[in-house]
Amino acid sequence: MAKQQDWNSLSDAEFRQIFRTWVDDNCPMHLRNMRKQRPVFDEVAEWYHALAEKGWLSPVWPQEYGGMGLNAAKHIIYVEEWARLGCPRIPDHGIGLVGPLLIEFGTEAQKAHYLPRILSGEDVWCQGYSEPGAGSDLASLRTAAVRDGDSFIVNGQKIWTTLAHCANWILLLTRTSRDEKVKQKGITVLLVDLTSPGVTVRPIENLRQEADFCEVFFENVRIPAENLVGEVDKGWNLAKAVLGHERIFLGAPSRPEVALSRLEQLAEARGAFADPAFVDRYARLRLDLYDLGSAFERFARQLRDNGTLGADVSVLKIFCSELYQKITEETLDIAGEEARFLDDLPAGNGHVDAMNLYLDSRALAIFGGSNEIQRTILAKAVLGLPS
Amino acid sequence: MPEIILEDPDGTFAMLRDSVAAFAQRFDGARALRARRGAGKDIDRDIWSAMAEAGWLGLMLPEDLGGAGLGLSEQAILSEALGRALITEPLAQLSVFSGALLAGAEPGEERSRLAEGLISGSLVVSPVWQTTDGGYAAVSATENETGVTLSGTAGLVVAAVSADVLLVLARSGDDRMLVSVAAGSEGITVMERPTVDGATLAELRFDGCHVAADQILARNLLGSGLLDEAIQAARLTLAAELAGAGSKALEATVDYTKERVQFGKPIASFQAIQHRLVDMWSAAEFSCAAIVNALERLADEPGKPAALAVLAAKARAGDAAIDITRKAIHLHGAMGFTDECDIGLYMKRAVNLNATLGNPAQLRLQFVALERAA
Ligand SMILES: Cc1cc2nc3c(=O)[nH]c(=O)nc-3n(C[C@H](O)[C@H](O)[C@H](O)COP(=O)(O)OP(=O)(O)OC[C@H]3O[C@@H](n4cnc5c(N)ncnc54)[C@H](O)[C@@H]3O)c2cc1C
Repeated sequence: MAKQQDWNSLSDAEFRQIFRTWVDDNCPMHLRNMRKQRPVFDEVAEWYHALAEKGWLSPVWPQEYGGMGLNAAKHIIYVEEWARLGCPRIPDHGIGLVGPLLIEFGTEAQKAHYLPRILSGEDVWCQGYSEPGAGSDLASLRTAAVRDGDSFIVNGQKIWTTLAHCANWILLLTRTSRDEKVKQKGITVLLVDLTSPGVTVRPIENLRQEADFCEVFFENVRIPAENLVGEVDKGWNLAKAVLGHERIFLGAPSRPEVALSRLEQLAEARGAFADPAFVDRYARLRLDLYDLGSAFERFARQLRDNGTLGADVSVLKIFCSELYQKITEETLDIAGEEARFLDDLPAGNGHVDAMNLYLDSRALAIFGGSNEIQRTILAKAVLGLPS
Repeated sequence: MPEIILEDPDGTFAMLRDSVAAFAQRFDGARALRARRGAGKDIDRDIWSAMAEAGWLGLMLPEDLGGAGLGLSEQAILSEALGRALITEPLAQLSVFSGALLAGAEPGEERSRLAEGLISGSLVVSPVWQTTDGGYAAVSATENETGVTLSGTAGLVVAAVSADVLLVLARSGDDRMLVSVAAGSEGITVMERPTVDGATLAELRFDGCHVAADQILARNLLGSGLLDEAIQAARLTLAAELAGAGSKALEATVDYTKERVQFGKPIASFQAIQHRLVDMWSAAEFSCAAIVNALERLADEPGKPAALAVLAAKARAGDAAIDITRKAIHLHGAMGFTDECDIGLYMKRAVNLNATLGNPAQLRLQFVALERAA
């Protein structure tokens, strides 16, 4: 891996140009604009390794750890260009979640051991937070970790763990003690090898009949104490802290942007732009997307100027997920009788995956903090409304 | 939960509902849907035969053709109950629509044979009459000494592979005729595509498919009103099924949110969720009211008022079921985004039924055009 330059000293335009050119030249065409939202590691391995070799796999990790060391502004450009070129999502929990967590809170030994293995693709991570009884109310999680000499013994169950079936490590939130008043206390972060005895992974088919999330069961799984991150009982704040500025990306316009381009393709093929009623509805969606861009930029600017985001960034995710749904719904509406087909609809020279996107658009309003939870955050933290 | 409320002096409606409930004990709708989907089949012939045994396939066919001679009210109650139970075999097309065409066809041996087969389930009689975008199929019939030759394509054909007989609406001159064609006849190509609710629809190509003269079931259909009547009956059937599916999805979501505990309380205790559930309930109520209105207009004011009422009912029931099932998925959280949870199947079923024979936007435009027509 070559020593990297200081990307942050480039102008945004320069960086965008360099990044886009290389990605466009190197992201394999057959992986572009994938139908699948969450391909498993093997499906995108060549792209993963190409990025790793270039040193561009981890945009925000400091360069000393093999990252690009991008600041928030440059990171946004990275994400934007990635989406614009239709590059596939890679299993990125190691890059986006575990890496930043260890860099901030891990021991030197943990950093030295785990970070290179993420970059090489040797370790593929998943995020073990949600449980059957702990979804929106994550702090009520119960998967138990009990200290036993130089180990923890883990018992319990996680669910909705994206890509656990292609991962070999899981970042696990466990319960080590119970405080009746404050549920957030007594939560501990452990790094768990999924190949340990006592771990069972069962894939779950999603609404699109793809297995992209899983149940993960833990039965007397022995975890070396050195796999503890931070302190026992104090894991909640670690988990919160690494979310950081990444929250802005849940509201990034890329999903509705892709959906709108599909709507346009179908509408053109079906002559819908000759129908004033459609144009009226389309115009609303088009401007919603346009204005989402403005709102995104408002938060991006704040991030560039202050390096942090407030609770108010939740507004992006709500608007974005609802717009994504409205666009995919309109696409089915103009498909008319053909809205019933599961496979892609012929449109001009190509096809439009109307149903694929329609079904996918159900998820964003649920994960990453459901829209109700986001609204509650805004009500309390921004408007200061009483309980 | 909301349902179609009709006076039921002799208990027929209650009996129909009971018989569907008993049927659903034997054939779990969701399981059957998954099995059919897994097998890549267009219909489940065993369930179809059982539906025939239950007496449902000839519900509206006149008694002189061997049917039960019942009306759209009975059909609506039946289809609503099937919608609730997620029994998704395509009754609206294969029984109601095909049945209405046969009932209106000219008396004859072929008609009797088809009606009998349809009612007993021994013949699957698939209507072939639309293009993929919902217009009239571009199949033309050229008459010759021994019968007609069919050429052209049609789309949106249900049960095209399982069909024994195709009821083809073909252009002849400026008008349309109805022809009975044995499925698998020479000169027919079938291209199947999967639908979102685990069945298939097919495009059919006729390349000089020859049909004997005694297979012609009816001529000069355009002015006869028969097609409009058949479409109307099928639309109301679909509306009832949508209403049933919507109402059941609401019920399942009320049950789920009452059970599901987060933050130490059932999530149904949160006002944001209560308000959504009330909106879903109100949509379901309005669907049922719209269907009852259509049934009453058909009985009391056939013609334009009835036609308007049917358009309104299908549009309302479609919008409602779509809206209810989307919200239902969301209120189930990640569970709603799985294939294992039946709520997603209700959503997919609603998408299919809603798009069939006109989606709400199209039906509303038809309503306004018809109402304003002199
Ligand atoms: C595609 C997908 C991928 C996921 N990947 C992962 C992963 O990799 N790792 C992981 O740990 N988790 C993952 N999740 C889980 C996700 O974090 C949870 O789905 C989410 O936290 C919601 O929890 P729940 O599904 O249990 O829904 P619930 O919390 O049960 O919520 C059900 C419904 O009730 C509403 N609700 C809940 N509380 C309130 C309230 N107080 N007021 C009003 N409404 C409320 C919700 O908005 C929702 O509509 C994933 C989920 C999805 C859909």
